Amino acid sequence: MAQIIVFLPLLGALIAGLFGRAIGERSSEVITSSFLVVSALLSCVVLYNVGFGHETGTIQVLRWMESGDLSIDWALRIDTLTAVMLVVVTGVSSLVHIYSIGYMHDDPHRSRFFAYLSLFTFAMLMLVTSDNFVQLFFGWEGVGLASYLLIGFWYKKETANAAAMKAFIVNRVGDFGFALGIAAIYFTFGTLNYDEVFAAAPEMVGHSMSFLGADFDTLTVICLLLFMGAMGKSAQFLLHTWLPDAMEGPTPVSALIHAATMVTAGVFLVCRAAPLFELAPVALGFVTFIGATTAFFAATVGLFQNDIKRVIAYSTCSQLGYMFFAAGVSAYQVAMFHLFTHAFFKALLFLGAGAVIHAMHHEQDMRKMGGLYKMLPMTWILMLVGTLALTGVGLPLHLISDALPNLGFAGFFSKDAAIEVAFASPGTFGPYAFWMAIIAAAMTSFYSFRVLFMTFHGQTRADEKVLSHAHDAPAVMMVPLIALAVGAIFAGGLFANSFIGDGQEAFWNGSILPIEIHEAVADDGHAVADSDGEEAAAHDDGAMSILEAAHHVPLWVKLSPLVVTLFGFLVAWYYYISKPHLPAQMAARNGLIYSFFYNKWYFDELYDILFVKPAQRIGRFLWKVGDGKIIDGFGPDGVSARVLDITRNVVRLQSGYLYHYAFAMLLGIAALVTWFMFSQGGGQ
Amino acid sequence: MQELLLDYLPILIFIGIAIVIGGVLLGLPFVLAPNNPDPEKLSAYECGFNAFDDARMKFDVRFYLVAILFIIFDLEVAFLFPWAVAFDRLVEGSGWQALTSLGLLSMFTFLIVLTVGFIYEWKKGALEWE
Amino acid sequence: METVTLPAIDIARDMGLIAPEITMAVAAMALLMLGVFQSDARSRLVSNLSAVLLVAVAAFVVMTTGEPKLAFGGSFKVDAFASFAKVLVLCGSALAILMSRGFLHHEKLERFEFPVLIVLATLGMMMMISANDLISLYMGIELQSLALYVLASFNRNSARSTEAGLKYFVLGALSSGMLLYGCSLIYGFTGTTNFEVLGTVVTGGEMNIGLIFGVTFLIAGLAFKVSAVPFHMWTPDVYEGSPTPVTAFFAAAPKVAALALFMRVLGDPLLPLIHEWRQIIFFISVASMVLGAFAAIGQNNIKRLMAYSTIGHMGYALVGLAAGTVAGVQSVLVYLAIYLVTNVGVFVCILSMRRKEGMVEEISDLSGLSRTRPMMAFALAIFMFSLAGIPPLAGFFGKFLVFFAAVDAGLWQLAVIGLLASVVSAFYYLRIIKVMYFDEPAPVFERGIGTEMRLILTGSAALVLLFAVFGGPIISMAQHAAVSLMG
Repeated sequence: MAQIIVFLPLLGALIAGLFGRAIGERSSEVITSSFLVVSALLSCVVLYNVGFGHETGTIQVLRWMESGDLSIDWALRIDTLTAVMLVVVTGVSSLVHIYSIGYMHDDPHRSRFFAYLSLFTFAMLMLVTSDNFVQLFFGWEGVGLASYLLIGFWYKKETANAAAMKAFIVNRVGDFGFALGIAAIYFTFGTLNYDEVFAAAPEMVGHSMSFLGADFDTLTVICLLLFMGAMGKSAQFLLHTWLPDAMEGPTPVSALIHAATMVTAGVFLVCRAAPLFELAPVALGFVTFIGATTAFFAATVGLFQNDIKRVIAYSTCSQLGYMFFAAGVSAYQVAMFHLFTHAFFKALLFLGAGAVIHAMHHEQDMRKMGGLYKMLPMTWILMLVGTLALTGVGLPLHLISDALPNLGFAGFFSKDAAIEVAFASPGTFGPYAFWMAIIAAAMTSFYSFRVLFMTFHGQTRADEKVLSHAHDAPAVMMVPLIALAVGAIFAGGLFANSFIGDGQEAFWNGSILPIEIHEAVADDGHAVADSDGEEAAAHDDGAMSILEAAHHVPLWVKLSPLVVTLFGFLVAWYYYISKPHLPAQMAARNGLIYSFFYNKWYFDELYDILFVKPAQRIGRFLWKVGDGKIIDGFGPDGVSARVLDITRNVVRLQSGYLYHYAFAMLLGIAALVTWFMFSQGGGQ
Repeated sequence: MQELLLDYLPILIFIGIAIVIGGVLLGLPFVLAPNNPDPEKLSAYECGFNAFDDARMKFDVRFYLVAILFIIFDLEVAFLFPWAVAFDRLVEGSGWQALTSLGLLSMFTFLIVLTVGFIYEWKKGALEWE
Repeated sequence: METVTLPAIDIARDMGLIAPEITMAVAAMALLMLGVFQSDARSRLVSNLSAVLLVAVAAFVVMTTGEPKLAFGGSFKVDAFASFAKVLVLCGSALAILMSRGFLHHEKLERFEFPVLIVLATLGMMMMISANDLISLYMGIELQSLALYVLASFNRNSARSTEAGLKYFVLGALSSGMLLYGCSLIYGFTGTTNFEVLGTVVTGGEMNIGLIFGVTFLIAGLAFKVSAVPFHMWTPDVYEGSPTPVTAFFAAAPKVAALALFMRVLGDPLLPLIHEWRQIIFFISVASMVLGAFAAIGQNNIKRLMAYSTIGHMGYALVGLAAGTVAGVQSVLVYLAIYLVTNVGVFVCILSMRRKEGMVEEISDLSGLSRTRPMMAFALAIFMFSLAGIPPLAGFFGKFLVFFAAVDAGLWQLAVIGLLASVVSAFYYLRIIKVMYFDEPAPVFERGIGTEMRLILTGSAALVLLFAVFGGPIISMAQHAAVSLMG
């Protein structure tokens, strides 16, 4: 079954890619989409079997490479972690495939598009089902390639090409670290198989490796290097610059790759390598710090963007930050849960935005929208659902009475859980993460509703002509949206118990190793709970799960996300519904902060000065001087030019004058005689 | 080596002396001779009237042909003299043996070849002026 | 010092040994007489008879090959080496006569002297090949050269042709002077002109710088004949200026004869001086290979290009000579055989480059030949690949044997330089192929190159192409010849 799930997309990609021209655009769409739907359905079966039937295992496909001590298999590792990812990937991918049939219907290169989409899906599946780090790396690079191809799908658009290159190059930075990390793992453990590495990891605690004369803690180095890869792929702070630009690609691509699946690969990596990270507290602290910073940073940038897709892109960045700090405080389940729910509502938001863009004839600037809810009622409702899910609206009825279940959209369960574990975390960066997350949540609410208001409410600012044609997207686009909306509404409530609730231990079934908080950490955690002063005694068994700890955070902590969300909503309402003229005035007045956020903290400019310009200078130097003058000059060009020079001179010798010729002969004989006079003279 | 070069030392001295004497004789007039040029002195001397033509005129190729033919036969005939002088030592015996001796046969072969050439040039008309 | 007894002159026996040469000489005179008493219109008869004569003599030479024998007091030597070289020379000359006829007819140069001169030159070459004495050596060279001077300016109404003849003559006289000076030095320092005696004197006597000077001058004179750098200067001008069939002849038979003479002199009597003469050969070989490779790149005229090609190939052949071993001589002989065949083929193609307005000689005239004359383009491509030394064509084996012999004799530097020069020279050979196959077609050449030309072209192309299959006998015959030369 797993093989079918993984290889059907590859088959689809090959058919559409190689024979797309022959079988026609329509057939390519149908084949790839139907394959993906089959994969998705099977994935659900697998999740059920694995998550609730505990049918885990590893399926050997074939031996990949064998060289000395190194032996790598192609294998499909099926456990709960993988199964969750399988559902997310194939589910979103199949919906995006179907949606794309409508969205891309007037594009002449649909076969290629669907081939890329399916190829991406295959690579992503390869990544999540990997049994060892090399296969993981294969999938990792595969999705990078597919992402590059899809961002630059409209290759005649210059910005798209630039964005594709940027995504690829920035990812190289992360991948460099990742590859080094894999090498370090092999260097340390002599194997790259997950099980063997994780089993051997505890023995490596306290070991250090020496580099350039300095000693570093082995596991910390490995984890930081791995996390570097994750930062690149998941667009975390400092390596985030490519993600907003990646929105140059078609919107379904943004939804699939740059919101729901590929960018979460970093989170998956951290969760997968949890047994290593758990033993490297420094690295975990770093993960928390970066995650929290990203959550806050991306939210600030998202506040004032005018491109609808960019806002959602920064929102993605921010939400990835939530996942990371959740993982950073050892709440991997929460990270995965947020990943899971986020996939639904963020894909929904993107595809909804796609529907709006589609209706507005590829207009992405929100300043040219407004009041669209009349024309696009369905889209409006779906976007509203997505927004509510993202902002985490819900009713914490559980607080009132244990008998009552919590009611709310998906984000309500997962995001609040992330905030709570951050608060509950005893780590150095726990409080930092918590406050950053709270502030980010407020801003998330603000910009999410800002998008909604600017797009669907108020006076329309759109062109009359465009407006007259605007209507809800066709069914082929709407059905995936509705399916995602269902997920966005119910995924949180339905799965909360399994993912992070009481059923989590059975559900994860050891696929995420650290079920118990570390001994040392547990004591601190206890202290936190103590400070709260209630219920701590009941759990005073020396080893309390951070998830449990998160249940016992103070009430104000539990309510704070809801409160700040409400606050953000009200601010957005005030500015964009009540006083729509205010934002422009505010922007003009608070020029400094506004432009600082609007220009993404000037990261692009900074990188341009720090890296791009010098790199270009080095490149130009190597090109003009290194290659042009030195290699070409002394190499092919030089040799051929010298040959021609010699030829020219030799030919000039042939003057046609008899006395020149005779002179050459005499010179020759004289030289020979002289040579012998001196060489033989010594001998005589 | 040194010996060999030493053998040639007189030649080197000779060359040196020749160059010195020649140089001195060429150089002296520039110092000593009076120098009062006028147009008449500088024009070519041609028996009292101006030159008609360039001195480097073309000659008819027939002159060359005749000259070359003369030289060939002159040289070949010249070859006969030493042969005739040494005749008695080249031809051994008498009668048939003498006729077939190497010296006699060689010269006759040579003369036959020469004759063939002569016939060729005659037939070709090389001997006719017009 | 051991003394050599030279055989006394026995006219009957000696005449038998030089029967091929006597036949040639007598026939040449007979043909001259036949021609001069006929009208010019029937010059084709002389030409036919000459070709038949050359082939017949070649057959005769093959049949009478046997143990090495000396004639005329040791001044003339008949051995397998001489036979091998003579057959090559005779075949080359016969082919040159056959190839010349169409050209001479079209250019209104059909005169009976042409084949007669070739016969005479060939006779000179045979003398050179069999020379076993400085006197007979010089006689052979002069007989050959005088005939060649006349041939070079055979088109006496063309300024370029007469200029070529004059240049060749003047420079040839200069080289003859050097050669004679060398001979006189050798005679002066050894007291003999005979190779047999010379060999023993050189072996027994001490190194004498005068003798070495003599050898140097002798080599210079011979190097002029094989157009080795720096005595090559005449070659491009003469090749370009001479009528094309004459160029074809120049490029083939005289080179074989001169190199054979080279091997005869250096490989037999002067072998004890190998340490000395190898330095000269090394130098002129390297210079020839390099100059041949570089200078040809700048040429637009295909005859001029072939002149530089010849210079280069003589350089490669000299590599084998520098080895100074049996394998070296053998490799040179094989190289010459292959070179002869290939060159004949190339010149058949060049002779076919005729348009309505006359002969053309520019490389650009070959543009698009693959579309206008596919078979000819294919044959020429084969020859070019062979000249460039690309396997599995004949040229590759020639180069391979030569370089192998050099490496075997410890002259790996020569082999390396030779390989590099080959790489450079491949440029201009391949350029011709590129022009033929990838450029826009130039106006088409006239049809009707004649049956014999087509036969020669096919035959030489087949030989070049299939040398890998049928080359074995040639290599073993060359070995036999080399052994007979060097013992």
